[in-house]
Amino acid sequence: MAEFEEADNAEAIITRIEHKSRKIESLLKQYKPVEALKTALEGSPPNTKDERCKSANWIVVHRAIMAIKDVDSLFSSLDPEYYDVLMKYLYRGLSTGDRPTCDQCLRIHEKLTERAGLGCILRSLADKVNTV
Amino acid sequence: MAAVSVHQFAQCITCHAWSPDHSMIAFCPNNNEVHIYKLLDGKWEKIHVLQKHDQIVSGVDWGTESNRIVTVSHDRNSYVWSQEATEWVPTLVILRLNRAALCVQWSPKENKFAVGSGAKTVCVCYYEQENNWWVSKVIRKRHDSSVTSVAWHPDNILLATTSTDGKCRVFSTFIKGVDVKKAASASSDSKFGEQIMQLDLSYSWAFGMKWSPSGHVLAYVGHNSMIYFVDDVGPSPSAQNVAFRDLPLRDVLFISERMVIGVGFDCNPMVFTADRRGLWSFLRFLDEKKTSSSAKSGSQLTEKIGKFYGQSKYGSNDTNETSRTQGGAHENCITNIVPLKKPGDTTVTRFSTSGLDGKVVIWELQSQHDLLGYL
Repeated sequence: MAEFEEADNAEAIITRIEHKSRKIESLLKQYKPVEALKTALEGSPPNTKDERCKSANWIVVHRAIMAIKDVDSLFSSLDPEYYDVLMKYLYRGLSTGDRPTCDQCLRIHEKLTERAGLGCILRSLADKVNTV
Repeated sequence: MAAVSVHQFAQCITCHAWSPDHSMIAFCPNNNEVHIYKLLDGKWEKIHVLQKHDQIVSGVDWGTESNRIVTVSHDRNSYVWSQEATEWVPTLVILRLNRAALCVQWSPKENKFAVGSGAKTVCVCYYEQENNWWVSKVIRKRHDSSVTSVAWHPDNILLATTSTDGKCRVFSTFIKGVDVKKAASASSDSKFGEQIMQLDLSYSWAFGMKWSPSGHVLAYVGHNSMIYFVDDVGPSPSAQNVAFRDLPLRDVLFISERMVIGVGFDCNPMVFTADRRGLWSFLRFLDEKKTSSSAKSGSQLTEKIGKFYGQSKYGSNDTNETSRTQGGAHENCITNIVPLKKPGDTTVTRFSTSGLDGKVVIWELQSQHDLLGYL
């Protein structure tokens, strides 16, 4: 039912992601990594099955995650509604096996678990439908 | 202290139920038997052992008015036990299942009971007077996976089920000759097995569920650490998804219209309350624990992850990691919560929980002053 919409939407989503990517680059230049991460997580396309959209969004989120230096300030300004999505991306980062990515993801993971609790981890593991 | 009594009955308990006067408890100690214990002189004595099933007894329910016990087991059978003199006499109920039975509940009038099974079906059984036996009617359609929990609506006709396909469904179980059609009610879906509603809120397995005392609200839990409250069950339900911080729940109980207790893998009952506008949220844990809560276990977990990746950030804290006894009443996952309601009471103030640690704990809410407003 949703497959035809997927094909058209995929292109639209990828353009949106490219748009986001430019915005994020400019935010990072202004030393606003938290804003950048928020923009990256907003409008994450968990409902598409298209792997390209997910990968495109992952690249953007990855860029924002790696730019974060101060993890504590991140959580003071990030809304709780983004915790679950961020946790899913952290696990995607941990699955890459790439040393700097994993280090950064672990650092954020520890603080996020303190903030959001084990339930957040459960939700990212249990959800097989909305994957990132 | 909310927990008034703790008793270790076995190594592990799968399910339990109380007698109508709360003097006896029936439970399955993770084998094919059901043990009945009675409180005599302050000590629990084993007075009966019901031995008919071949495999684990997965569900037991004790009818408060009829004093009948119904048990279901992984051996795909169900027995209804009635007490004659000092013995419990079993009657086999042919469920026609080809997979294990997982849960059972007497209907409010106790003239029917519902069984959820791994065969993706729900059996509704009723007593046929002419043939003197229990007949089972099967709802075969609709479920995509095992039915983990069943809950009867106070009207004795609507039955809600949760399943490992993540969906919660409400069916009509109207049976001619057993149920009386309410002339005033507009429910045209009076056919047996008719699906009234399907809720697609959870993306993971759904477990325990219950109706509120009035039957307006339905609550069920998902394995993704969320609890779902559904209002106005019918053509246009309104649902609330409450995500919480801790480990998932396995069973829920409505204490009153505005308070729900959930039990699960945190070994501690969680209290959820609704404010004046009907918005549900997590209030607090019921049991007071002496040691710290999940924040500490989170850092122990990351300490292990850190060590695993070769980055030890906490120095040598290895001796700290002992068993997870947190000083609470239960030591392992709580799987079952049963109300202890005296007849004539509209709200529940006492309830009991049983879990994989083999303990049955009785909780009393009257001592919890901040909760009395919600009763």
